[in-house]
Amino acid sequence: MPLPGKKLYSILFIACAAGYIWLGLNISQGHHEENIAVEVCLIKHTTNIPCPSCGSTRTILALLHGNIMDSLYWNPLGLIVLLIMLIIPLFMTYDFVCKKELLLKMYYKTEATFRKRKYAVPAIVLILLNWIWNISKGL
Amino acid sequence: MDTQKVDMFIMTNGKFFESFQVAQIRDRLISLDDSKWNLIQTLQFKDPVISLIVSLLGGALGIDRFIIGDVGLGIGKLLTCGGLGIWTIIDWFLIMGATREKNMAELQKVLY
Repeated sequence: MPLPGKKLYSILFIACAAGYIWLGLNISQGHHEENIAVEVCLIKHTTNIPCPSCGSTRTILALLHGNIMDSLYWNPLGLIVLLIMLIIPLFMTYDFVCKKELLLKMYYKTEATFRKRKYAVPAIVLILLNWIWNISKGL
Repeated sequence: MDTQKVDMFIMTNGKFFESFQVAQIRDRLISLDDSKWNLIQTLQFKDPVISLIVSLLGGALGIDRFIIGDVGLGIGKLLTCGGLGIWTIIDWFLIMGATREKNMAELQKVLY
């Protein structure tokens, strides 16, 4: 019972566009990696604890400035987000131009993979470990 | 199928579907063969209220999307602080409808 294709494409398009706008805003704001990117996180605001993906923007910004060690330190999940943000527009344009459903197939395949316990459990453990690291870093 | 059985099904499970779908489900069930009754009875539907509660509490981590079976969107929400907090808020309003849609898809697998 996966999502219908058209809806998925629009959701991914909006998400990607929002991601790039957010990144653009942060780049245009300056180079102070420490002071930005925390102000929208609901969890951070309500509980004062960083969420599992806090620091992603700082990771990407650090990578853009060439500080690879810094970008790994802030939040490794940010690199995955960056990868997804790079892949999705490429696939989306390809699908749009060639009238294919490559992105849709890939999405369903990812969903099916993470429904299997042998992939889901390690993923959850990794996310939790990263979260604990985030909290101990005090992002 | 027996009208009484169908009405019983609608009474117990009506809240899991959109209101405009209920009449259609009822018609379809009445025209359905009796042998499918056992299968339909074993279906497990997700409660929209539960997913709303989960969305309010764990929406920023995408847990609501994981629960209704949208693993991909759940990962998306988890990796982006709940879509920069905006998607979380939008989902507070969308998640009940999304749950009902998932239930409908589940039922449709048996109906058609």
